[in-house]
Amino acid sequence: MTASSAATAVGMRPAGYALVRLGQGRFLLHRRAAVAAGVLTLALATVCVAYLCVGESNVPPADVLKVLFGQPSANELVVGTLRLPRMTVGLLIGAAFGIAGALIQTVARNPLASPDIIGISQGASALTVGAMTFGITSYAVLPYLSIAGGILAAALVYAFAWRGGLHATRFVLIGIGFAIALRSVTHLFLTKGDYLVAQQAQIWMTGSLNGRGWDEAAPLAWALLLLLPAVLWAARAQRTVSMDDDTATALGVRLGRVRLGLVLTGVVLASVATATAGPVDFVALLAPQIARRMTRTAQIPLLCSALMGALIVVVADLLARRLLSPTELPVGVLTAAVGAPYLIWLIIKGRTGGKA
Amino acid sequence: MSRLTARELTLAYEDRTVVHELDLAVPDGRVTVIVGPNACGKSTTLRALGRLLKPKHGAVLLDGAELAKIPTRKIAQAIGLLPQSPVAPEAITVADLVSRGRQPHQHWWQQWSDEDERAVTDAMERTDVTALAERPVDALSGGQRQRVWIAMALAQETDLLLLDEPTTYLDISHQVEVLDLVRQLNHEHARTVVMVLHDLNQAARYADHLVAMKQGRIVAEGHPQDIVTANLVREVFGLASVVIPDPVTGSPLVIPGEPWTPASRTDVAGGDVPGRSPQGVERNHRQRTNAVPERSAPEETPRHGTDPNTTAPPRDPAATPRTT
Repeated sequence: MTASSAATAVGMRPAGYALVRLGQGRFLLHRRAAVAAGVLTLALATVCVAYLCVGESNVPPADVLKVLFGQPSANELVVGTLRLPRMTVGLLIGAAFGIAGALIQTVARNPLASPDIIGISQGASALTVGAMTFGITSYAVLPYLSIAGGILAAALVYAFAWRGGLHATRFVLIGIGFAIALRSVTHLFLTKGDYLVAQQAQIWMTGSLNGRGWDEAAPLAWALLLLLPAVLWAARAQRTVSMDDDTATALGVRLGRVRLGLVLTGVVLASVATATAGPVDFVALLAPQIARRMTRTAQIPLLCSALMGALIVVVADLLARRLLSPTELPVGVLTAAVGAPYLIWLIIKGRTGGKA
Repeated sequence: MSRLTARELTLAYEDRTVVHELDLAVPDGRVTVIVGPNACGKSTTLRALGRLLKPKHGAVLLDGAELAKIPTRKIAQAIGLLPQSPVAPEAITVADLVSRGRQPHQHWWQQWSDEDERAVTDAMERTDVTALAERPVDALSGGQRQRVWIAMALAQETDLLLLDEPTTYLDISHQVEVLDLVRQLNHEHARTVVMVLHDLNQAARYADHLVAMKQGRIVAEGHPQDIVTANLVREVFGLASVVIPDPVTGSPLVIPGEPWTPASRTDVAGGDVPGRSPQGVERNHRQRTNAVPERSAPEETPRHGTDPNTTAPPRDPAATPRTT
């Protein structure tokens, strides 16, 4: 009797979680995920300092820190005006792609389902490039067209995959079909369009951070800040969609709405990021899967996916700047070089369930 | 008294009607078991009782209110449901999965309470899976996994519990274990249980209230002692049988007619008329109709996907005309 009541008093909290109390709120924190987030943050901070140090002219880390903390430095221009805003854009789009991939992969229950595979990036490209060839080249308009293109493509894929419910595999396959079709449309615009415009569009389409500054970083930061509540909601809602439909419904989840909410959040994040830097391929595909392998959580961890996405983009852009220096590569070339083999491996492995 | 009732319930998958104007009152605090041949609509009915399927006509009522009009989260606080083949998130641990049963009681800002902790601990102790708490669900045996899923449904702490073939894939000792657990839960907390079972004899043993369905309609319902007869078995399953009292419990025990023997081949060769065998038992039924669910069910039910019972037309056309 005493033994059983003692056991009850200890209580059965899901293994590996810690309870966090914040005022009235109580949250479960996955210990391994928390450690992974810490490690990733440290790695990211290190890489960021390296990013700011290394370049055409190398700046000592002490000077970089001076600039970061607002003290006067001779390297103010190189670090503060050129590298820092570009890096900030890289961090933000990386995080946005990482979360977008995590959410869409969760809903589709398939690691292949990321915005750059299922047509969202291609929708953004098609509309943006189309507008460019029709003479709309203002950067005040193009990002919005890009966002609209991404959302439109996602809506079409969603509508076609819907048959009295969202069928996950159909969603992915239809998405891949749309991606191919939209890519052709983009190429049609490119061949029809003016040579100079086509070249400009081509660079954007590969995904590049070249020349991105505070003008791009600020609206991106605002957009992500506005999406933060949706992301916080998604982190919780994700738990329930990882079960089968019947079980989730039995637990009182409005599956249709939750899925739509998750996909919508992911699509908007991916579209906003694409609007800023072009479709930086494979970040959304890679980041969540690597993050999940680190945390071993039952669902894809959002914070770690965001950190991993940011890490991938910043490292890739650092390499893109330096690898063939003084020639600069678009960052998308680097992410594709890592991502494409991974994608092939995923397909060869023949498993669509997520974790290996 | 019945908190959960079905009124003129018509259920259909797209255009195919599976259940016709079914009326059912689930007795409170009792174990109700629905039985019937494959594709009779029993799982479909259970799904509708748990709002997984929207009725085409009629309604399911919970405390007098239509299920379709109650927020699904509210329903989840009153009705727990374990589907036939639930899928766990990959690599999830036992305690993590069981704790998801608390979902309908939690809030965004209140993701874990003492109440949750107590309910999860309790559910795991009851189903005897406490020792497995940190193991991944993927790594468990079929019997253990089923106990974990039941623990999840228990952690939901609902007055009503719907179980869709909870004994499928389990060997006989685990089947008995699960059914005993169900009975214990019903006894200790007066929980209302509705189960779909394939095995008529298990149903007769464990049910307080037995519902026999055929072709989307209820043929008979009541206490097993009162309704399970050779005639009912013939009518519902198209099976010749002898019903004797269970030597252990006294509940009705259905013994199917004599099995096929080489001698019976000449009896039925060329003829398709039942009841010709010299023994006077329609033993050729089994041979031709394959309508012995309690034996063939585990092999027939696929491991994944939806139950073909509910999505395929009756497989057994031979069984039906003969019994009408």
